[in-house]
Amino acid sequence: MTCEHVQKRLTAYLDGELDGDRGSVVRGHLRACATCRQIASDEAALRDGLRQLPPVDPPASLWAGVQARLAEAEVADAKRPAWRRALARWAPLAPRYALGGLVAAAAVTAIWWRTHRDADPEQATATPSQVLAADTTPAVPATALAVDISADLAAESDRITATYAETAAELLALASERRHEWAPDEQQAFDAQVAALRSAIDDASAERPRHRAWRSLIRYLQNAVVRDQIALAGGAP
Amino acid sequence: MSRRGLGHGTGRRVGRRLWGALVALCGLVGVAAAEGPGAGIVERARLEVAPGGKAFEQITIENPLGDVIVEGYDGTSILIETKKAAPDQDALERLRISLVPNPDGTVRISTTADGGREVRPLARSAVRIDLVVRAPRDARIDAAVSSGKLEVVNMDAGGELDTASGPISVRNVAGGLSTHSVTGPTSLAQVFGSVDAQTISSDLELDTIGGERLVAYANRGKIAGRRVRARHVELTTTDGGIVLEAETALHGRLIVASLKGDVEVRLRRQGPVAIRARGGKVDLGSATLVAHRDGWVHGQLGQLLSGSRPAVVELRSRYGFVQLTVVD
Repeated sequence: MTCEHVQKRLTAYLDGELDGDRGSVVRGHLRACATCRQIASDEAALRDGLRQLPPVDPPASLWAGVQARLAEAEVADAKRPAWRRALARWAPLAPRYALGGLVAAAAVTAIWWRTHRDADPEQATATPSQVLAADTTPAVPATALAVDISADLAAESDRITATYAETAAELLALASERRHEWAPDEQQAFDAQVAALRSAIDDASAERPRHRAWRSLIRYLQNAVVRDQIALAGGAP
Repeated sequence: MSRRGLGHGTGRRVGRRLWGALVALCGLVGVAAAEGPGAGIVERARLEVAPGGKAFEQITIENPLGDVIVEGYDGTSILIETKKAAPDQDALERLRISLVPNPDGTVRISTTADGGREVRPLARSAVRIDLVVRAPRDARIDAAVSSGKLEVVNMDAGGELDTASGPISVRNVAGGLSTHSVTGPTSLAQVFGSVDAQTISSDLELDTIGGERLVAYANRGKIAGRRVRARHVELTTTDGGIVLEAETALHGRLIVASLKGDVEVRLRRQGPVAIRARGGKVDLGSATLVAHRDGWVHGQLGQLLSGSRPAVVELRSRYGFVQLTVVD
């Protein structure tokens, strides 16, 4: 065995990964060759030094970053059409199978031409695109795969707030349809109440008081729209 | 009360109670069993928390990860049964339940999921924590869940119940009760006390409600009530219909209003009743029609004497059908 062969196997030898005969051959060469023995000694010393280094915990932000990038990659992967994912898997093998692919394509074209030459051309072109569209629809929403439970729980309050905001916007639209039926002082009172209730939402610091404030706004708008109850005795509902 | 503000004696009592709870929890978690390997891991535990001196007055429960069932009983301790379910041990270990008993008679039970170290994110739908809490009847319940079921039965001090999309079910509860749900249906039965219920996009069902006030709002949902006997009743919907079978109290007030839905009220009366109604179409049944004024149909049941205070019934729907049936 030459020095070059031994030096290629030194890492595996030091890791104890060379079995019986191969390990024995390397060991025998090291006994006889000072150069290789020195290289092996240096590498062993380097490994010992590395092992003695204190373990380093990566910062939490690093891990969060890694998770976020993994999630992004998964989302991007899920959004990518199935045919592109399949293409990416087969791309490295393309040269090997190029000739076979050409022959197969020619055969398919010939068969298609023979069987479809009398068919309606519009129908023939529409069908593959419909199939492709169906294939690209993911079975599970991409976000459901990527969002972790802790992030999902943290986002729950925002989802509820979004529903409240949407409901309030719908009721405000209904109120604006009826606004012309109100007297000017009622319109003024309505605007003042809505502003006060919106301000209460903005001022609420915690989640439950904020949701409570949203519900008060929705309730007030419902009273205004359904029951013409605009000015409230005692201020906010 | 802040922990810093506690006296030494109180602090020791709290400490003893917390230690007791902790030891009990550890012991019980120790006997928790894994079940059904095919369906992931299920871990069950039971815990009893005895009052440290002052009886439990309020129990706050926040469980965004599953169901909460609260059952009142005649004891003084709180008995908690927990059930955690997860696809594997790593996921199970991320599920946390915390219990904080305070010296002022309040207890807080909450659940959460720790930030994980798994490479693959853990979907929320893959795990759950269900809680069954047996509580002293006279404790007030303040509970919030997300998509899980929230059920309260046999309690005497009312409470506040919140869900995002989970159903709320209340049965045999006394005391002031406030419920809110975004999209979860709400069912209240045998509630004896003032009720304030609100949903955004779901239905409200009321059965046997007796108390001073019943105020219920549904935006996109219907309200169905029967055997309602509150002195002051207000039911309001935007899109959904309202069906109510109620009894007017003496000098009581009943307002049933919808923007787009139909309003159907079956009324048992006590004493004279003044009625006003407006809608796409109005039918006041056997009530005596008195006048049509400003778009309202006015009617009455019984003799309205000058100076007397009749019960007042107001029924309205801008686009729907308004119908009143008097039940003798």
